[in-house]
Amino acid sequence: MVQLSVEGCPLQVPATSSILQAMVAAGQTLVEGVGCMGQGVCGSCRVLVRRTGDSEVRTALACETLVEEGMQVAFLEYFTPAARHRYRMDELGDSWDALARIGEVFPEAEHCRHCGGCDRACPKGLDVQRGVNQAVAGEMAASAHVFDECVMCNLCTLACPEHIRPNHLGLFVRRMLASRSLRPSDLLRRLQEIERGEPAIDFDAPGARPPV
Amino acid sequence: MASGIPYDLARQRWQVGATPPKRADEVSVPDLLKGYHPDHGPRARVSLAVGVNRGDPCQPDFAAHLQANALIDDVHIAGAQLVTTDVLVIGGGGGGCAAALTAAKDGARVILATKLRLGDSNTVMAEGGIQAAVGADDSPQRHFEDTLRAGHFCGEPELVAQMAMDGPAVIRWLIELGMMFDLEDDDRPLGGKLLRKKPGGATAARILSYRDYTGLEMMRVLREAVELEPGITLWNRCPVVELLSDDHGRCAGAVVYNLEWRCFVLVRARSVIMATGGAGRLHLNQFPTSNHYGATGDGLVLAYRIGARLRELDSFQYHPTGIAYPRHLAGGLISEAARSAGATLINGEGERFVDELQPRDVVAAAILRECAEGRGIERGGQVGVFLDTPSLEKANPGILAKRLVTLRHLAKKCGHDAAQEPFLVYPTLHYQNGGVAIDRHGATGTPGLYAVGELAGGIHGRNRLMGNALLDIVSVGRRAGAAAAAQPADGGTLWGRAGIGHVHAWQRELTLAGLPLDVKAPQLFPTYAHFDLGADAGLGAGMPAHGVGGIR
Repeated sequence: MVQLSVEGCPLQVPATSSILQAMVAAGQTLVEGVGCMGQGVCGSCRVLVRRTGDSEVRTALACETLVEEGMQVAFLEYFTPAARHRYRMDELGDSWDALARIGEVFPEAEHCRHCGGCDRACPKGLDVQRGVNQAVAGEMAASAHVFDECVMCNLCTLACPEHIRPNHLGLFVRRMLASRSLRPSDLLRRLQEIERGEPAIDFDAPGARPPV
Repeated sequence: MASGIPYDLARQRWQVGATPPKRADEVSVPDLLKGYHPDHGPRARVSLAVGVNRGDPCQPDFAAHLQANALIDDVHIAGAQLVTTDVLVIGGGGGGCAAALTAAKDGARVILATKLRLGDSNTVMAEGGIQAAVGADDSPQRHFEDTLRAGHFCGEPELVAQMAMDGPAVIRWLIELGMMFDLEDDDRPLGGKLLRKKPGGATAARILSYRDYTGLEMMRVLREAVELEPGITLWNRCPVVELLSDDHGRCAGAVVYNLEWRCFVLVRARSVIMATGGAGRLHLNQFPTSNHYGATGDGLVLAYRIGARLRELDSFQYHPTGIAYPRHLAGGLISEAARSAGATLINGEGERFVDELQPRDVVAAAILRECAEGRGIERGGQVGVFLDTPSLEKANPGILAKRLVTLRHLAKKCGHDAAQEPFLVYPTLHYQNGGVAIDRHGATGTPGLYAVGELAGGIHGRNRLMGNALLDIVSVGRRAGAAAAAQPADGGTLWGRAGIGHVHAWQRELTLAGLPLDVKAPQLFPTYAHFDLGADAGLGAGMPAHGVGGIR
């Protein structure tokens, strides 16, 4: 068993528990800040963690983090900034305007002061700051790649003193890249066939009926 | 759980890179399912006593929720705030987002209410991919036939055909929104080819994916699109607790509970699109589940209560490869992508015992048989069989690092290296094959009510193919969104009487059937959430205080 505290409340739970499971095991109400329960993809269970003997408070996802003796945990509220970037994918023009659009939608991005706060905040260990700088430089593919495994937990957004919202910038770049450049030949061809009415479904084909 | 062959002994019998013998198997597929699949066991079904499906078979644990009383009564919503909108979308997963985006684009005012937070859903957890027949060796016809066959020919051919034909257009829509897909050659976005994988039970490679977190890639794009869409008002942390009906038996909106403010809100809507997902977190048959925390079958319960017909209520998908060990990750999913890429299943005797790319119900039943007959592997009180990732890596060096990234992360969480040690797996409750009966627009039998995604039934028959869920939610989601937005604004639907009259009729039915009124549903959260709506909302005097607040 391990003793830890969540929101100042002492809990005693099996050592193999994640922080979320510790909450459940301790009989606590758990109806927010929870989602995929261990897969680590929904970014909902954001916590601040201080471990015994460590002066620094670190960010983490509660479903992925195993409890440790003496650990102190606080959940992070999901803040929604009053004003955020606004754009519509279908109003962004063609890809020649990409760099201008990045500047318009995320004007703060070029103000990055290289403090590394986003990198420290990222529970997935992504090179967030590099991704931001690459986006500003127009290196879109490289920037998109940085945010490949981003779960949109918004912890980097929370950490950025320039209000850059790095994860949203990363997603913007990814979306631009896909919507403005991804044109697979096999998909184009099948869409064209369907438009021509070629592959119609035969409901009476032998394979559409149960075997006798 | 049953005992099995000790882990250490099983490890000795298994060798990386060896070609293990496959046990000769005389049992036919129907007999295997009958003998070992939970849908077919002695506890597989009961007959429903109330509602439009009275007399139909239903999974027993699920029947208890369907035949329960409402969470609220007139008195609880008497003074509640009233809001009106054109379209109310309930559920913030992929299906709800696709429906909301389409309805808003067509000019409707949309409210999207979701129990947890936008995007918290099974969609974001989907790993394998999305089906669409784009390959030269493939066709919508094959997709149609594969889906029907895998569903044991219980699916609705009209709906299946529509989904198969929608596939390519759905991929295009997702790309236009900014979703990426894997290409055969990543450097050739313009004019290259989509990377395709073959799902178990299909005749062609048809799975399109983004790495092995296709659902995450899809959901983060859809979520951003919804959040930035001016025509959509987003209500996070607002589960639906009841639907509203009018005098004509139409669905006229819903009662939502705002978890932040701890109050009920009445939403009058011309159309309600229900996209609340499945019921895995009810842990039917006491199975572990791969499902999201919010998947407690809310929409199914409410749709049934207001009079929508359900179908295939006794058919659930148990995904063959849930994690069995370690215990704290039990139920978590190991994507079919692993088997699709060639990973084999090995029992405690060191044998293969099934063709791993058979439909999921067959593979799951085969694993359950190994465990029931003592050929499973026991570790730390958990029983399962091996999923042989080390041999896969040996045969395809680099595959774990490049193509099966999530699998590697998962192994790390399990405390081992996927290239060195096999996973211990056991079937996990994954998907509700049936659901609310819908037409081609997602419309249910109750006017004004639409159903999208896992909540809806009729496409997957009695077994769903990998990759068809992500296609289904977007295909039907877009159609339901368009149909709901096209409802004429005749003035009447928003201003006539609306209430919970159907609940009172329902209570009479329950009483006549001799069913208790103190069993309430929907459950809203898993039992271990320690949440009690009555206590949280302060309903009634003398409510027990447990459940209010908590330390968060």
